[in-house]
Amino acid sequence: MREHGLTSEGGWPSRKLRLTLLISFGGLLALMVIAGLDALRLARQLHTQEEEIRQAFLAHTQPLLVLSSSIYVYNDRIQEYLMSQDPQADGLTAEEFSRLTAEINSTLKTYPENRQPEERGLLESLQQLFTEQQGMLNPVLSWSREERHKQALRLLNEEVLPQRSRIHETSEKIALWNSQQLGATDREMFASFASLQARQTRLLGIALTAGLVLSLASILYLLRLGEEAQLRYQELARSRTELEALSAQLVDAQETERRSISRELHDEVGQSLGALLVEVGRLAASVPSDNVKIKEHIDKIKSVAETTVQTVRNIALLLRPSMLDDLGLIAALEWQGREVSRRSEMEVEVQSADVSEKIPDEYKICIYRLVQEALNNAARHSSAKNARVTVEQTAGKILVCVFDDGRGFDPQRVRGLGILGMEERVRRLGGLFTIDSKPGSGTMLKAEFPLSPFNQERS
Amino acid sequence: MNSIRVLLADDHKLIRAGLRLVVDQQPDLSVVGEADDGRQAVELAKSLNPDVVVMDIGMPNLNGIEAARQIRQIRPDAAVVMLSMHSDEGYVLRALGAGARAYLLKDSATTDLVQAIHAVVEGKSFFSPAVSKVLLQDYMRKLRRSGAEDSYDLLSPREREVLQLVAEGKSNKEVASLLNLSVYTVETHRAKIMQKLNLKGVPELILYAVRKGIIS
Repeated sequence: MREHGLTSEGGWPSRKLRLTLLISFGGLLALMVIAGLDALRLARQLHTQEEEIRQAFLAHTQPLLVLSSSIYVYNDRIQEYLMSQDPQADGLTAEEFSRLTAEINSTLKTYPENRQPEERGLLESLQQLFTEQQGMLNPVLSWSREERHKQALRLLNEEVLPQRSRIHETSEKIALWNSQQLGATDREMFASFASLQARQTRLLGIALTAGLVLSLASILYLLRLGEEAQLRYQELARSRTELEALSAQLVDAQETERRSISRELHDEVGQSLGALLVEVGRLAASVPSDNVKIKEHIDKIKSVAETTVQTVRNIALLLRPSMLDDLGLIAALEWQGREVSRRSEMEVEVQSADVSEKIPDEYKICIYRLVQEALNNAARHSSAKNARVTVEQTAGKILVCVFDDGRGFDPQRVRGLGILGMEERVRRLGGLFTIDSKPGSGTMLKAEFPLSPFNQERS
Repeated sequence: MNSIRVLLADDHKLIRAGLRLVVDQQPDLSVVGEADDGRQAVELAKSLNPDVVVMDIGMPNLNGIEAARQIRQIRPDAAVVMLSMHSDEGYVLRALGAGARAYLLKDSATTDLVQAIHAVVEGKSFFSPAVSKVLLQDYMRKLRRSGAEDSYDLLSPREREVLQLVAEGKSNKEVASLLNLSVYTVETHRAKIMQKLNLKGVPELILYAVRKGIIS
């Protein structure tokens, strides 16, 4: 059951709508993904940078510490050597000295080239301390034990111990520089973190703005689409109304034309043919019964005339069912039912209850044509065995139903001119037309006409 | 010689002229008047008091069926012969209901008219053979398709006799005297027939009889 709907305006808006939604939501999603990926990349970058800075810090501070402690150990060993009483240890000590010297030299050699001025100062003073100690130790190594003992105290007091305290000082300076370096590293990391964060914020801002613009544009576009659809709908409704008016006029004109042609056929052609038949009958009666040849001729003329009368009559009836004028609506419907029963394999039953013959002529015509079309459709297309027509009049309305037990169809898809015509006729009189059918289950066609008291009085 | 007075009513002049020729050829028939439409036919029936009114079913102003009804009211003795283009039972039934005794198809009017006029004057019914044929065909087709049995088989021999006599236009009293029965018994038979055949009123009964070829 449905009012004949606007079925064909789909297509363009929904396609555009889908595209718009795809673009806007897809765009937003893409922006989010980009922002997220960038944040990940940033975190990774931050991590790498931190690692790099730390590595750089370690590359400088560690060898410096190693160097200072190695020199300290060197000084220690000199002290030990000077104080040593054990002649066996002498050879070992010299060996250790050369090992320490090699170690210090290799550390110096591998020290990173990018040195800061302060760092260079520290390094130079370490180098100088080392050179001084080497310079002091070289003559000592060649001394005899006695001479070493003699000189030990003086050397310790004048050279080794002051050098030791200078090494201490330098170590402290190195520690200080170390902590300074650590602070600088922190600052550097902060700076790089801040710059990365700023970049991230910028990107987020851009993403947000782009998202906002995209959504705004989509909303505007959707609104415009809606407006367009509304306009189209209105246009469609208007052209539909116009079309209805036109087809109503067409139905009217058709009915009038049919009536006048039918009248013409009935009055002029029918009358002449009728008279012809009467004359032929009289001629036949006046011919002597033994004149077989002429009788045969007359019979032939008569049969041709009779066939023609029948044809003309059928045409006239099709154009304007004179039953409506002669017998009234119900009898005309019954007649129609029997006609269809005779012509087809479908038996038609007509039932009616309380139907006044005083309803206006256009209602009678409409109902008659509706039933005619419905029965013809059923007989022609549905292979129905039975059909039932019911007409009921209740307070204020007439209900017409045509039911057949044929194979049915899908009214949403099959909508021939016949059905459209019926619908049009019913709607024109303010009635409601419905088709209830589905493949395999027969067809129920209903038309309900409102009857105003004025309508019931008329005609 | 007392000739039968005939009134012709048809809106087509040529047809009327043809019918008039047929009637006038018979020595015992005479046309006393012609009407153009139903209204005029009623007026002329009133003023001319014809024995038989031969009338087309489809006429302007007042159609033949309504005119027949009115004429039968004003002049119950005037018999009506209905002319029609249609052999359908809708027409036949309504013509009978309006009081017509004979029903002729226009195609065969010239052949059957004289016979029909004589029949109705004698109080009998007359139907064009083509009409009986169509009625019977419709009836048989309906029976065949619905698979129902012929209700005529349900009637007893006596009921069949009564059916035929009533269909021929006999009153209950006439039937009673013809069959040597009481009027009361005839009435009972009639009621039973109507019930068995599912008929409402004499017109349907006549139609049924025509259909079955019991009368023609």
